[in-house]
Amino acid sequence: MTLAIATTDVGALLQLVPVQRAGWALLLAAVGLPIVGVVIVGLDIMPVRFAMMHVALLGIAVGLLTGLDPMLCALVACALAGAGVAPLARSPAGLSGAMGLLMSMAIAAALLVLSVSGVNASGAFALLWGSILSVGSADLVVVGVLAGVVPALFWWRRRDLALLLYDRELAQCSGVPVGALTLVLLVLVSVAVAGAIKLTGALLVDALTLLPALAARRLGKRLTTIALWAVAIGVAVNTTGFLIALWLDWPPGPVLVLTAGAVVLAVHLLPERSITTWRAQASPPSPPLPSVPSVPPGAPGAPGAPPASRSSR
Amino acid sequence: MREVTCGHGRVVAVDSVDLDIAAGERVALTGTNGSGKSTLLRAVLGLHRQHTGSILVGGRGTASAVDRAWRRQACAWVPQKPAAGRFPLLAGELLDSAGAPEQTAEAAHDLGVGELRRRPLDALSGGQLQRVYLARAIGCVAAGAGVVLADEPTAALDFAGQEEAAAALTALPVTLVVVTHDRELAARCDRVLDMAAGRLREVTP
Repeated sequence: MTLAIATTDVGALLQLVPVQRAGWALLLAAVGLPIVGVVIVGLDIMPVRFAMMHVALLGIAVGLLTGLDPMLCALVACALAGAGVAPLARSPAGLSGAMGLLMSMAIAAALLVLSVSGVNASGAFALLWGSILSVGSADLVVVGVLAGVVPALFWWRRRDLALLLYDRELAQCSGVPVGALTLVLLVLVSVAVAGAIKLTGALLVDALTLLPALAARRLGKRLTTIALWAVAIGVAVNTTGFLIALWLDWPPGPVLVLTAGAVVLAVHLLPERSITTWRAQASPPSPPLPSVPSVPPGAPGAPGAPPASRSSR
Repeated sequence: MREVTCGHGRVVAVDSVDLDIAAGERVALTGTNGSGKSTLLRAVLGLHRQHTGSILVGGRGTASAVDRAWRRQACAWVPQKPAAGRFPLLAGELLDSAGAPEQTAEAAHDLGVGELRRRPLDALSGGQLQRVYLARAIGCVAAGAGVVLADEPTAALDFAGQEEAAAALTALPVTLVVVTHDRELAARCDRVLDMAAGRLREVTP
């Protein structure tokens, strides 16, 4: 028995305006959203997508109840929720616990509002399910702005961000405005994730944010290189996945998520030694280390002194 | 410090501590594990918020955001258990956070960790990490800090390293408060205070 897979003419499909828009949206999203993913991994708030889906639902419910634009209400609700949980970053449970709390409270509040207002819950949820092939011009502007604002903010505050993501107290003692920075990050992450859910559908958000960041986390050894790897993986995965989806006439969301997931798995299966070799080749050579005989007795590196000058791994 | 009391939940870690430290004085804080030494140091830094009483550094409290920012700049910190870190950070990035790159690099070189700038902190040994934090504290002093608060800064070092670090710390032209179990380091200080069950008492007048 043979399995025949229907293929399509990718060139012809790329002439279609919705396909072109989807392609551009994915490329732009691959510049901004993987950096948001790096922040999500760094702040340990991986359940943020689920929390934001429920908060967005609450926003939509409020919008439908009050007659305001539901999607605008959803984005504002997510921004407020992100800002609202920022003080919990100080608690031992941190933001990971805060996201769980937010998710439970938001869905309960949303169901209550929907029930009290008599709005159809499935109708409200339907507004959350976007599709990459139905991206409009306004949506393109949103991903375009994210592709500009997120990397710019990241580059501007990269030193503060590296300290904050390493350790909040160390950052605080180094003069980093940790409260304000955490607040801005959470608002940005919340709005970006909620916006991306609307643009691309809930499933695709993970392929655009978390999965490139998870792969990059293993490849880079500092925040800036992790962010660069994440963007590079995002662009590669989005391009490859989208072309495969077009070629096989499969839905882009699942194909992109599976492509990104395969990259994450492949990166984690790579032996540590080969990753270290890449890093060594990518970084400038270190200055030569002093040889053992040239170290005076009692100095670091001398026999009996700490192994400070032995930097080979 | 006046009537400083710190708690961890319902447990009182620091109990009604009164302490005056003159500018430029070197004070060693000793005592058994869990006696409240680290908590007291963290309260001075503003990292332990659950406290009553008043703590002034250079005559300034931490009522306003400007005062809090000044306190953080005025006090260099060598943590007891350097954070494991949720995300990678290079030793060089930690050193650069001191704010005086040249002097920090020089201190790192003197302490034998100058070559480790490109290494992630999680790839350093405990002793190397402690030396990086010491070099950072020296850099903070060069950047304007007048107080160094060091929490067991020689605990992970070998004997030669302990002597070297103690000499480097006590030679700094700052007010030094150091939590330590290291007798050599305590002997280099002007005063030794002992803490037991949250209470402070002077060992050397």
